[in-house]
Amino acid sequence: MAAPVVIKKEKVDDPRPSASADAGEGQTEAEIERRMIELMGEFPKGINDKILETDMPNVDKKIKVAILNRLLSQEKVNIFRAAVTKELFWCLKQQPTSKLKGVDSEEKIVMRIIEEAGNKGIWNRDIRTKSSLNQTTLNKILKALEGKKLIKSVSSVSAAKKKVYMLFNLQPDRSVTGGSWYSDNEFESELVDVLNQQCYRILQQKAEGAKQKPLEGPLIVRNASFLSSKEICQIISDLKIVKFNLTVEDIETILDTLVYDGKIEMSATTDGYSDGQVKTYRTVEKLLSSAGIVRIPCGVCPVIKMCGTVGAVQPKNCVYYDQWLD
Amino acid sequence: MPPFTLGHFSQVCCQLLNHYFGEIVGQVGAYLLRRGHRPLFDIPCATGLSIAEVKKALAVMIQHNLVKFEASERNNNIAEYSIIHHNVYCLLRYPKYLYMIKRIYGTSEEILLEILLNLGQASASNVIFQSANRLKEANDPSALHQSFLKLAQDNFIIRCPKLADNANMQKVPTLVVEEKEKFTVPHLEIGPIAKLLKENATQLGEHSDSEVIWRVNHERFDVELRNVILVNAAARRVDSTAGELYHLILKLWRECSNPDSPTTNALSFNVIKDAVRKNEGSSPVLLEHFEQYLRVLYEDTSSLITKVGDAGGGQFILNYSIVFENLACATLDSIVLERFGSKALRLFRLTRIQKFMEQDQMQNIAMIPAKEAKMFTYKLLEHNFLQIKELKKGTSNFAPVKSFILFHVDLPQVARTALEASYKGLFNAMVRQMHDLTDNKRLLDKHARLETLLESLRGEGLPEDELAYLSDSMTAAEKSLVARIHSMNDHLTLGQTQADDTILILESYLKFSSMT
Repeated sequence: MAAPVVIKKEKVDDPRPSASADAGEGQTEAEIERRMIELMGEFPKGINDKILETDMPNVDKKIKVAILNRLLSQEKVNIFRAAVTKELFWCLKQQPTSKLKGVDSEEKIVMRIIEEAGNKGIWNRDIRTKSSLNQTTLNKILKALEGKKLIKSVSSVSAAKKKVYMLFNLQPDRSVTGGSWYSDNEFESELVDVLNQQCYRILQQKAEGAKQKPLEGPLIVRNASFLSSKEICQIISDLKIVKFNLTVEDIETILDTLVYDGKIEMSATTDGYSDGQVKTYRTVEKLLSSAGIVRIPCGVCPVIKMCGTVGAVQPKNCVYYDQWLD
Repeated sequence: MPPFTLGHFSQVCCQLLNHYFGEIVGQVGAYLLRRGHRPLFDIPCATGLSIAEVKKALAVMIQHNLVKFEASERNNNIAEYSIIHHNVYCLLRYPKYLYMIKRIYGTSEEILLEILLNLGQASASNVIFQSANRLKEANDPSALHQSFLKLAQDNFIIRCPKLADNANMQKVPTLVVEEKEKFTVPHLEIGPIAKLLKENATQLGEHSDSEVIWRVNHERFDVELRNVILVNAAARRVDSTAGELYHLILKLWRECSNPDSPTTNALSFNVIKDAVRKNEGSSPVLLEHFEQYLRVLYEDTSSLITKVGDAGGGQFILNYSIVFENLACATLDSIVLERFGSKALRLFRLTRIQKFMEQDQMQNIAMIPAKEAKMFTYKLLEHNFLQIKELKKGTSNFAPVKSFILFHVDLPQVARTALEASYKGLFNAMVRQMHDLTDNKRLLDKHARLETLLESLRGEGLPEDELAYLSDSMTAAEKSLVARIHSMNDHLTLGQTQADDTILILESYLKFSSMT
């Protein structure tokens, strides 16, 4: 299949002089083109060489290639290559061209760049470098497109002043909005703290409940102290702490913070009915209640580096010791 | 004030020598701590002490196994003296040793050990004689002999090295340890000891085993102190019954393994089960759920027990290096938590678990607002709890170099920093204690004199009102001050033992991690 690709590339730069010329078996190129678009409409997943061959066996391969290349350059069709068979597919472009009516070529280019960026959006400066338009023209174009409601600007959480552009109908990606824990680009640390504590409390209650039956052995006590992220999510949702819909992933990020706090542990198990792993959590005790050294003032002293047997800070007249010993 | 400064650890050692053996020994010790191996004649020059004083101080320290001597490499007719750092530091742990022996065995063993610690090194007969003298009422030397055998059998005491056979030919004698005889008690003649005791003699004269002298085995006590920490950890992790089981298993491990290796030898399931069955003190809960407890322990993430095979129902070892890494982490976590707060702890643990982290990732995963996260990260960095690794991308000379700043935790380094800080904390607590005691020395002395006087007069049957009159010779304010100083003193002593716990964990971690 490599050969047609090569030919195609050569032909793109070479506009055919006889577009409406008779192409053999009584079909004009315009007819073939129409038929091809029809076929692509019939097969939304795309058409390959075989379909074309069965539908129009009489048409010369070169002409078919030329027509397809023209369609490609007019941006009416997309070309794909199948992953396994390496076959080429053509299908209609999703974007109805009618939407871009009244849009000039510069705007079209900008639109395409923004479209490529998907729901992650693209920064003003990156558009400029990609399109090689100058700043004023680009600003004008962006304003015009925004006015037509084709694109929108979204400010990113990672940098408050950085605006990214994306197609109007897209939902911004989590990396742009920051996910559930951001509202108006502000990180809601209080909400996270509240949920962190609440999750811990739920797990603690579960563990205490499990300890009520010591007669059944420590293994049962331990296994009864586990809760899966799904269950925790359900409990939190029932408590109605948050107004939006909490997903299991949201709760897992909160539970992760507890894991990093060293208060709980995660272990992955499988339950019978859903495929894949289920993350379960339980509270754990630290190996030490607290390090011995922090029970004397020196362990937490902010000026320990300055302390010595001479100078202003000395253990003899240390105010922290005075407070501690009183 | 000496014209030089020592490291924090050496300062602690110096303080201990001063406290237990007086100023002269303290000065000689400080000099040796600073200079390492030194011949005798260097010491009086540097310290300004007379040669007789130095000789005496060295003799005292050798008697207590705090100083060792070796023939100089340059001239093997000259002996060089050096401090045994660990043994000096262990002076701090003597109260713990006594408490431990009392808990495991009982009072008579505690007395034996106390006498031995006081003497530094002594023959078995001598220790038994002196202990019997101390105990007075129950001065049955044969019972004490049994106790002494128990201590030797469990390796808490060890024979001192003997003079080598060719000792007469050398100016500086060499000492040899006989591996086989390390813990064997020679035959003792109890009869003469009992007879001397009846005569209320204060000195034991010639005796049969005067050549075989004993001292405390610090390594064994280290193991025991570590085991206490481990058992407590197991009890915290699961429950007290698990702690009980773990205690038993630790005992089995100790009996079958070399104390210095980073992992113990394997124990099979059946061996442990037998030991639990045979142990009289096993609680019924443990007997009933033995398998479950073992499973919970080896499945725990703290690696208190590691399963290494399935033969004999399962093979279990204790990997000291992993367990003490976990304990050191817990210690560092606790220090970070107390010093910088819970958010800083989250960042610290996150970085440690994820190995290398960028600032952005850290704040996103820890879910801490950017500003706070940065503040805590830089604070931790400032106090050496976090380290920076810079990765530079691209080697081209003209293109701008993109670099990533990654944060990570270099655990041994952080542990060493914390250990150094702990020594300093311990030293400060000691200095503070000495200061409080010397500042109020006169008052305390007066109080002590009064108390002994009252005690003896009460024994003589003086009426209460006269006693009350006498006790009024100290004002109420003075009495309350004395009480306050005593409570402060207790606080500081407790603080020192707690600091020592941290030091033991961090030292053990560094020791075992350097082995693997």
